[in-house]
Amino acid sequence: MRNEQGSLLRNKLKVFRAMHDLTQEQLADKLKVSRQTVIAIENNKNLPSLPLAFKIAGIFNVQIEEVFFQEQGGKSK
Amino acid sequence: MSVMDIKRYRRIRAAAVLFIVGIVALAAFQGSYLLAIIGILTGMLLLSSARLKAKITLDEREQAIREKAAQATYAIFAPTIGIGAFFLILSARGEFLYLEALGMVLAYLALFLVTLYAISYHFFNRKYGGGGDEE
Repeated sequence: MRNEQGSLLRNKLKVFRAMHDLTQEQLADKLKVSRQTVIAIENNKNLPSLPLAFKIAGIFNVQIEEVFFQEQGGKSK
Repeated sequence: MSVMDIKRYRRIRAAAVLFIVGIVALAAFQGSYLLAIIGILTGMLLLSSARLKAKITLDEREQAIREKAAQATYAIFAPTIGIGAFFLILSARGEFLYLEALGMVLAYLALFLVTLYAISYHFFNRKYGGGGDEE
């Protein structure tokens, strides 16, 4: 998803989930959200709120910037 | 208390809706208000108890979807009935004078919707910290 500055917001949720051997459902249960929300975040269809983003980083014991990052993108055609 | 999954809850919800629709149809056919009320209340009771047992997660994504759906519904509904009211009032003449009454009802309904939106907007603007001049 693009933010106002036109950069792409991406995440490494799938990577961290694999590292911690968590299924989408298990992660959803820990975050107290639906599995659809986890899927939407992984596919960059949904931006998590700040509290949820911090919660995700907390579960993986990393800084929030390690999970979520900005990718400078060009204008879409 | 056992927790049911979302699929089972959806099946129960569909069955409850069909039950309510069936009972109301039967009540309309028989001209019985009491049967309709009993059917609706029974269906609502069934839905409420199923919802209590179901493990339904209302998370931020679901919240955002509902907000956007409500916004889209309002954005379509209010202008539609407003414009519909306008044309109904305009076309009311001769034997179609009843259209003016219908148009007036829709016009007031549109006005009510817009007023309700304005009040809601003001309320939530205040709630989420807007409206102040503090620096």
